Amino acid sequence: MFVLFWFLGDASWPYWQHFGISSVWAAEWYPYESLYGLLPAIIGTTWAMMIAMMIAVPCGLAAAIVSSEILPVIWQGWMRVGMELLAGIPSVVYGLIGLWVLLPWLQNTFDLLTGHSLLAAGMILSLMILPTIMVMSQDALRMIPTEQREAAMSMGMNWNQRLMRVLLPQAWPGIRSGILLGLGRALGETMAVMLVVGSLDRVPQPIYNILEPAQTLTSRIGREMGEAVFGSMHFSALMACGLVLAVTAICLSLLAQRKLSVVL
Amino acid sequence: MIKRSLFLMMVVCVGIPAQASARISAVGSTTVLPVMSQAAEAYHQTHPDLTITVSGGGSGVGIAAIIQGTAQLGMASRETSPEEQAKLDGKVDNIIVASDAVAVVVSKAVYESGIHQLSMAQIADIYHGKIKNWQQLGGLDKRILVIDKEASRGTRHVFAKAVLGSSHARAEGASIISGSNNEEQMIVSRSDNAIGMLSNAWLNDKVRGVDVLVDGKAIAPTIEHVRDGSYPIARGLHVLVPHTASAATKDFVQFLLSKQGQDIVKKVGYLPVR
Repeated sequence: MFVLFWFLGDASWPYWQHFGISSVWAAEWYPYESLYGLLPAIIGTTWAMMIAMMIAVPCGLAAAIVSSEILPVIWQGWMRVGMELLAGIPSVVYGLIGLWVLLPWLQNTFDLLTGHSLLAAGMILSLMILPTIMVMSQDALRMIPTEQREAAMSMGMNWNQRLMRVLLPQAWPGIRSGILLGLGRALGETMAVMLVVGSLDRVPQPIYNILEPAQTLTSRIGREMGEAVFGSMHFSALMACGLVLAVTAICLSLLAQRKLSVVL
Repeated sequence: MIKRSLFLMMVVCVGIPAQASARISAVGSTTVLPVMSQAAEAYHQTHPDLTITVSGGGSGVGIAAIIQGTAQLGMASRETSPEEQAKLDGKVDNIIVASDAVAVVVSKAVYESGIHQLSMAQIADIYHGKIKNWQQLGGLDKRILVIDKEASRGTRHVFAKAVLGSSHARAEGASIISGSNNEEQMIVSRSDNAIGMLSNAWLNDKVRGVDVLVDGKAIAPTIEHVRDGSYPIARGLHVLVPHTASAATKDFVQFLLSKQGQDIVKKVGYLPVR
């Protein structure tokens, strides 16, 4: 861990030294004009993560509740196998599915120039993190002792009340870990995002426009790392992107630890 | 028994690499790549002791790989920049093995709606975002999908230098960034309103090259026009060979320049240098 941060910090040091922290919200990224603003990619990453969460959290949670509370045991097993298989598919396969199925569909539905967009990236990501959220939420729900359910029933609570007042509050720590782990995966995913996001280094106009091509931190690193000569400012700026990602990921996983997250 | 078979396995594992032939890797421009990979295949048949792995990434990646010493051969579809040249001077031979035309390509639907030729100024306006609809150029009322390439790509350098004035010029009108030639070819062929830049060897039924107007004369992006020098966006395709390269590597480069190698260049669709 320390080695990782030391490496990222050391490699990106010339960048921070030269441009300072303010470059994080500078909007222009033109490596050949020595303009290295991180803002477009940070906004892109944020949007892609938010879209993925908006789709995957409700779907994953619903799937977990249905499979652990409603379906008979035999179906639970099958759903779990299905989800675990889904989790094991390499990301580039998701990217290709996005490229061949999702992009043409988006293009026709919204009458876009091209389907490449933050929405496409978010949708692909949601598919990728759905299994994590679902499996972890399901585990959390199943950990609740049967007595709790019986007690709730004997108090005359109906199904909705049992779910909202007993089951979800009890399972919340597990569900939250699932969500944060999923978020971590969405944050770091490169290949699938790179294929569908369009890689255009521009702040979306207007900022909530998620139907235009954009750039994320990971896809920028993926696209440009090969050409950046080791030790150059470009290389250092890409490392700074990596550092921003790593710091965010660390914050997320610290939040996922139960003890530290009294706030949530 | 188990011991013996383990021993056997160890012998096999240690033995295989020792038996394997010499390997070199060629990295860089996806425009040079088809020539390189076909030549590598042909060369391997007569020289089974040399295996050449060819991979893309773009000219910038190829040049960076040679500077950093991570590949034995670099492929580039553009001249090296002064900064790059400073690092390569006296250490690397830069050999031109072919030339081609960077075609201004449009989707089939655009071509069939009547856009058969564009002037340099019009192309520049499209890439600067001043022309946004095909109607402004006499086509259908459709927004233009402007495909730009990653900054490291050789095709981008050559195109931007010829059309926009400098090899790293901004293209404010770009609607999407593509990487390799294949990626761009796919985006153009799947769209009904795209414009992009591709080597002439990547043209097909769905990806049409338009003529470029030079002094009022329409010049098609063909090999003939590269040969007579009339097509304005032409370039050489380079192979970078470090001086420290092995004799086998240098022999392979000679093969690229031989009759057989140059026939491969012709077959791919480029102009041979010899």
